[in-house]
Amino acid sequence: MTRILLRDKLDNCVARWRKAGLTVIGPVKKETFSSYAAVENAAELDLSMIMPDRSIKGLFFPQTEPMLHYTIKKQALDIKDFTPPPEKRIIFGARPCDASGMAIDDPLFGWDYKDNFWFQRRNETVIVTIACTKADDFCMCTSLKLAPDSTKGSDVMLRPLQNNRGWLVEELTDRGRDAFNEIADLLQDGSEPEASIAVVPEKFDLDACVTWLQKTENFESTFWKEISMRCIGCASCTFLCPTCHCFDFQDEGDTYSGIRRKNWDSCSFALFTMHTSGHNPRATQSARWRQRIMHKFNYFPGKFNVNSCSGCGRCSRQCPVDMGITETLQAISTLQP
Amino acid sequence: MTENIQTAQQNIYKPAIMKIVARHDEAPGVRTMKLEFQNPAEHELFKQNYRTGMFGLYGVYGEGESTFCVASPETRNEYIEFTFRQSGRVTTALANSDIGDLITFRGPYGNRFPIEKFYGKNLIFVSGGIALPPTRSVIWSCLDQREKFGKITIVYGARTVADLVYKHELEEWERRDDIDLVLTVDPGGESPDWKHRVGFVPTVLEQAAPSPDNCIAVICGPPIMIKFTLISLKKLGFDEPNVYTTLENRMKCGVGKCGRCNVGSIYVCKEGPVFTAAEVSRMPQGDL
Amino acid sequence: MTIQETYKTRAKELLSSGRVKMVVGYKAGSTPDRRRPHFIRTPEEADRLILDSACIANLSGYLITEGLLSDEKSVGIFLKPDGVRSLNILAAESQLNIEQIVVLGFDVNNNEITALKGEKAEDFSTLIESLKEHVPQTPGNPLLERIEAMNAKERFAFWEAEFSRCIKCYACRQACPMCYCRRCIVDCNQPQWVNTSSHTLGNFEWNIVRAFHLSGRCVGCGNCDRACPVNIPLRLINAKMAHEVLGAFDHFAGMSQTQEPVLASFKKDDSETFIL
Repeated sequence: MTRILLRDKLDNCVARWRKAGLTVIGPVKKETFSSYAAVENAAELDLSMIMPDRSIKGLFFPQTEPMLHYTIKKQALDIKDFTPPPEKRIIFGARPCDASGMAIDDPLFGWDYKDNFWFQRRNETVIVTIACTKADDFCMCTSLKLAPDSTKGSDVMLRPLQNNRGWLVEELTDRGRDAFNEIADLLQDGSEPEASIAVVPEKFDLDACVTWLQKTENFESTFWKEISMRCIGCASCTFLCPTCHCFDFQDEGDTYSGIRRKNWDSCSFALFTMHTSGHNPRATQSARWRQRIMHKFNYFPGKFNVNSCSGCGRCSRQCPVDMGITETLQAISTLQP
Repeated sequence: MTENIQTAQQNIYKPAIMKIVARHDEAPGVRTMKLEFQNPAEHELFKQNYRTGMFGLYGVYGEGESTFCVASPETRNEYIEFTFRQSGRVTTALANSDIGDLITFRGPYGNRFPIEKFYGKNLIFVSGGIALPPTRSVIWSCLDQREKFGKITIVYGARTVADLVYKHELEEWERRDDIDLVLTVDPGGESPDWKHRVGFVPTVLEQAAPSPDNCIAVICGPPIMIKFTLISLKKLGFDEPNVYTTLENRMKCGVGKCGRCNVGSIYVCKEGPVFTAAEVSRMPQGDL
Repeated sequence: MTIQETYKTRAKELLSSGRVKMVVGYKAGSTPDRRRPHFIRTPEEADRLILDSACIANLSGYLITEGLLSDEKSVGIFLKPDGVRSLNILAAESQLNIEQIVVLGFDVNNNEITALKGEKAEDFSTLIESLKEHVPQTPGNPLLERIEAMNAKERFAFWEAEFSRCIKCYACRQACPMCYCRRCIVDCNQPQWVNTSSHTLGNFEWNIVRAFHLSGRCVGCGNCDRACPVNIPLRLINAKMAHEVLGAFDHFAGMSQTQEPVLASFKKDDSETFIL
């Protein structure tokens, strides 16, 4: 039996979820900037944009977050564990690429040592994804073997109906089913014609790229220097990326009390790998860009059996010098393996 | 791979509190500290998990954490010793810490030296400068069960005589007749009363010419020393799988999350820091 | 011949005569309205050169790419007047030898592109002087006017909201030709001058530190503003500082390669209103 959520019921849904104690989060557009943000009613949601400027990542892995509080007294050191305050959340209107990104990072945060800062938020959050009916020049999910209606990482997938009437509800996980049982009476049975899903042309042949990347001799190829010549070494691409997960620890406070924080960090920065001795394994920007590409499409899949890229295209869309993964992989797929 | 390793805390980034019980100045700017656990449960977990070769993150609150190997061997796990050179924010704070002060330790992390594979074999240890600590923990692991190994040779060099670390232990090793100790300093680094060799470690190693037959080599040192020592060992006929080394990449988390120790498909903090020369040669050399 | 074709020919001449080893210009980007930096080393590569009103990025920062000028060979570069001004500052602050730079000057106004005469930075000094004379008295930017009309508390709230989006990707710094420090103050940790965390305080610290480091140095090229992935109107901060510096010290950044940095020099008639 298929169920339908009509758009005019959405405001009721938001109210009902909020009443049930869930924080409702969705794509919100402010004057010059868009992101996934908490809303009080459906009118605040902007479900028409291609995707928010910022990815969903920060909701699970904030740009800065306390790990520990410490107090130093005479001959005593007090450490208080920080755990994120429990918060049940529902993200309504996530993009399939953003939802996939979270599933891609699960094995990383879970292998051997489990990062509970990530998993607590993962477990407490229902991701309701809306399949894309439009895309722009930078979207590349199909090149990553995903699609504008991929269900990877989603708890519920909503397939848009024609004429903007609402969505076909596809519950994928228990978490998703629970959240939609909460609003069961606002759904209706039946079927309606679905809107057509966005067409995202394939931009490169991923398999050919991976073959090239895996060839040892290509690590030293002059290609890397050429492609990254204009890279200015900022972290815009890595910070906007839904799957880039590197971080740093920083203590802030004084010798008596303070906080240890986990902050986003980036392989684009020269300091990232710099040894105390001054030796830097990745001393040039081209070595750093090579690492980013290799990590996403060669090393990470080798380890976790999944590409560390969901094809959202933010890296290219917002690069200050018009670089990005798309251009690099397009160039690689034209090279001789 | 998905089986979670037990830690004392739910928060994998929460360190254990350690008391500094002894400290010793090794060389200008280089100091060894001996630490004791304050929490018996954490100590118990350390004893269960620690094997020679593993490392930890040593921290001073308000400043941060720094990565060093555990310099004491698995055969002596009542305490932790580590040796560091004062050079950055955290090591300066460590250097300013005194006996009785509380600092933190997170670990033990990483892989280990497969010491049981060395049983019945001759061993040659080669190290340079401040890289003796990781070698030292293997050396003591072997010396504490000396009968299980063949001939043991130690080649150790530093820039100058003053820069040699663990001087008291070097004297002890020199006195023992079941160890061949070869000490050297770089040309110009000798003192008037220096009785040992003068020359770079790889050269001295070639002169010492240990036989590769039934022999395992363990080398630790700055990247440039490792590079030339590997060439020397190859000349002497050592096979790459019989040569072990440690990689000392910059790390923050120690548990395979933060991304910075990544070289090729390897996360040094999880799959290292101990590698055979064969494994190192398969890594992208430009990223080392 | 269009300006683009004229300059294409000029770039080819410069390269084939050996006068320069490279020309830094623009080429087509990933969408029709985008231009990306183009490093031209052969006359053939000059064929892909594009010069039109979409070429607004200030490319001068690429001149201090490590090793680019160390062989003492010359490099040609497409610059608008703001780019020439930042080139002057880089020379004044001893970051490069201006004799090695051949300027291919152009300007874009109201979507119209014009060629500028000259090839050395000093050839543009009359133009830059006239820019200084014609600095408008009012901001001329609706948002800046709105901010000017706010009281201190409202202004603080405005910037707090803007900076709350900052993710400390340092795209502003990396895109800025004036931010050339090998080790930025935020990367120094003994002591930790600036909080590296990207929270309210850390974001304020970073953006205020940057505003001060650019006072009297910012040429208003807008690279930071365009680079910011979360669209903080960074240019307004620097424009305000430039305005203050002009009023207080009659200093217009990048007038010449010998102009002293305003915050690192003292003149007897400097206003001392801040000394109580």
